[in-house]
Amino acid sequence: MRITTCTSLVGQGVKGVWKNRMMSFASFCIMLVSLLLVGLTVLLAINLDKAIESMEQKNEIIVIIKDEVDDAAMQKLGDDIGKLSNVSSAVFFSRDEAWADMVEDMSEKEKELFHYADGKNPLPDTYRVQVKDIEIMTETTVQISAFEIVESVESPDEYADVLINIRNILTLVLVAIVLALTGVMLIIISNTTRASVFARRKEINIMRYVGATNTFIRIPFFVEGMLVGVLSGTAAFFLTKFVYEGLYNVLTEDVNVLAMLGINSLYEFSYISKIVLLSYIIAGAFIGAVGTTISTKKYCRV
Amino acid sequence: MIEFKDVSVTYSSTGVDALHDINLKINDGDFVFVVGESGAGKSTLIKLLQKEIDATSGQIDVNGFNLTKMRRGKIPNLRRTIGVVFQDYRLIPTMTVYENVAFVMRCVDAPKKYIKTRVPYVIGLVGLSDKADCLPEQLSGGEQQRVALARALVNDPKLIIADEPTANVDPALTYGIFELLKGINACGTTVIVVTHDLNNVVHFGGRIIRLDKGNITIDQVFGGAEG
Repeated sequence: MRITTCTSLVGQGVKGVWKNRMMSFASFCIMLVSLLLVGLTVLLAINLDKAIESMEQKNEIIVIIKDEVDDAAMQKLGDDIGKLSNVSSAVFFSRDEAWADMVEDMSEKEKELFHYADGKNPLPDTYRVQVKDIEIMTETTVQISAFEIVESVESPDEYADVLINIRNILTLVLVAIVLALTGVMLIIISNTTRASVFARRKEINIMRYVGATNTFIRIPFFVEGMLVGVLSGTAAFFLTKFVYEGLYNVLTEDVNVLAMLGINSLYEFSYISKIVLLSYIIAGAFIGAVGTTISTKKYCRV
Repeated sequence: MIEFKDVSVTYSSTGVDALHDINLKINDGDFVFVVGESGAGKSTLIKLLQKEIDATSGQIDVNGFNLTKMRRGKIPNLRRTIGVVFQDYRLIPTMTVYENVAFVMRCVDAPKKYIKTRVPYVIGLVGLSDKADCLPEQLSGGEQQRVALARALVNDPKLIIADEPTANVDPALTYGIFELLKGINACGTTVIVVTHDLNNVVHFGGRIIRLDKGNITIDQVFGGAEG
């Protein structure tokens, strides 16, 4: 196909958006809302993932060892814990080391208070255990608790469980939202194209009779659908930026809600903006192209 | 050349047998009238020639294309060898005469320079040079049909199919349309005129194929008043 013909067909597609402005606007709005819902849910999910990841990096289980256990037993406990499949490391932290750390952090008044309590070290010997997968932290905690010389185990497993459950539910919701909204977007774009095809039915009929190829007939509609998709994606990006940055500021600046929840890291929008914009545009263009293809395949066949 | 070998068409949706074992040969440069009552199978014949529908059985060859084995992707190639004139003209109302004719050249990706020279020439051939900038609504029925004829001619097809070309034209202008078609045929283009207007058929003469309930009942050459 000649470049001039190609340019002309693309131009027809662009004009088509304006010619069918009511339907194009309806498609634009539906796609905007759909992309926005999908985009915000995805962003929520990836931030939750990041929060869980950051927790995984601090996935420390503290194993408190019973008093008056000899060194050999403690050493054996360390070896046994290290053999558990979900354990990446188990570091012994003696009561003396813990006491030294604690004293170092104490104020003078606190030090005085402990001095009155005969200066005895009240702390136990511990193992600080790092796990590989936070999702099975509870199981690992139970396994460690089962060792005879273990007094107790402290782990953030309940909190991690809550976050993981939210993430899993969110993933399901996300899949459902993506499927449902993709369906809606395809139907809407497909209907817009049908309206365009109907408006140009005489031309299409003539094109078919004189030997225009399918590609020639479909390109303007294809461009029209993709353009609406790209515009919706771009608008969705700016709305997402507005909503995301607003929420980010509320959660991190005024009162640090995230820190209160133990989450200290969220993606800054500037960090993810390029990939968000690209994803929105690609998703919009893709939906526009597929919706148009469905419609034109049925109504523009030579 | 057009050749039908034992061609039958049964519409699966209605169960109507539109054509029965048709055997037909039209040579390059022929002028053929296809006549018949409504429901005789004339439209089905035209649809087969353009591969709008497929034959239920038999073999069809049109302008060197075997339609029975033809893939859908090749249909545009076949249609570029055929020019069609419709009963209802089917002009695009928002385009001028020039644009209507140029449009079909653009559809087959013709070079711009060639379009600029070819379109005025063909519009001149049908006698509408002074109406090139008019919209279809500003033209009479006969003039609109001439535009349709110019549009069918502009891509220089091997075959022109005129489906009831004079049905919506003033009787006084009918003669002119047929004269034009005869002129086109004289230049070597095969012309098939589908009509129920027997008066003109008799007047112009030529090969006449009569269809009746899906069968060819007459396939003869008549002299005609024109000689």
